[in-house]
Amino acid sequence: MSIKQITAERSAQQIVAEDFMIARARIVELAATLDRIERATGDVDDSKNMQLLMQGMHILCDDEVEKAKRVQLLMSRQYDPQWQVQMSIERKGT
Amino acid sequence: MDYIDPHLHMVSRTTDDYETLARMGCVAISEPAFWAGFDRGSVDSFRDYFRQLTDFEPKRAAQYGIAHFTWLCINAKEAENVTLSREVIAMIPEFLDCKNVLGIGEIGLNKNTRNEATIFMEHVDLAVKYKQQILIHTPHLEDKYQGTRMILDMLMGDSRIDRSRVLVDHVEEHTIEHVLENGFWAGMTLYPVSKCTPQRAADMIERYGPERLMANSAGDWGPSKPTAIPDLIMELKKRGHSRELIQRVVYENPRTFFNQSKPFPH
Repeated sequence: MSIKQITAERSAQQIVAEDFMIARARIVELAATLDRIERATGDVDDSKNMQLLMQGMHILCDDEVEKAKRVQLLMSRQYDPQWQVQMSIERKGT
Repeated sequence: MDYIDPHLHMVSRTTDDYETLARMGCVAISEPAFWAGFDRGSVDSFRDYFRQLTDFEPKRAAQYGIAHFTWLCINAKEAENVTLSREVIAMIPEFLDCKNVLGIGEIGLNKNTRNEATIFMEHVDLAVKYKQQILIHTPHLEDKYQGTRMILDMLMGDSRIDRSRVLVDHVEEHTIEHVLENGFWAGMTLYPVSKCTPQRAADMIERYGPERLMANSAGDWGPSKPTAIPDLIMELKKRGHSRELIQRVVYENPRTFFNQSKPFPH
């Protein structure tokens, strides 16, 4: 689609300065969650959710753009374009 | 700043919330029919609910100068009960002439099942038959992407649908582009954990522009904040965006969309 991006009023430096405390708090929260899991009894090596969290954190650190969208897609069920055939759904109004 | 919340479940909120909303600039609300937190057992339960939406809530809102509009349907969660769903769909026309009814909604998918898709399409038939606008619920979390794509497939495969009269709600970073690029309106829901924050909504406004885009609180009986739109207004102001841009998203866009069904009093 044609993106009608609005010119950002803030520079990258400004965003880092203004959003640093919020981002910092969220990283600490994430780190504390991992510590909590580490200290607890039990094994999460086979946990699908744990694997998704680790893959999500890799997206945060890679060099690619659209990180929020990519994390969302990582955490999503697959879409099958043939779903109507699979479910035997009859199209209406065609 | 005056604003409109296009998706707010006031039946779940107190009268104090109406007062707070009015003090924060809310001039109109649209309230889609939704899940009550439990599955209802009969068509008469829905008839009473629709009476509440079309009679009681507009009066409660009016005490605080807020215009109240509504949408009618059986929600996707209860659509697994196909027999009950069909009884409710057959009953809905009793209410379509009520002066605050904007259309059919919030219809959509929940777990993306065959029954949900069947009832979704029967709601669409109803909307087409009675020339009603449509407000759509997209699923939560891991079901959202798949469900949104399925909903768009059903709508785009139906030549009777006027896309400019359909609002697809609860869009997020991975679904917004599919909705906007295909000519539908999109709504971003500001929800504490499971949907979108004011900051991410502001990001999407910057990324995609304000055309056919609006924001809502979807305040209901769960963890939610009915005054979330003022939070978005504040975030956009903090980022230095113009009053015109903010007003377009939180007031002009919902007004333009809803005016296709019922003229707004403001």
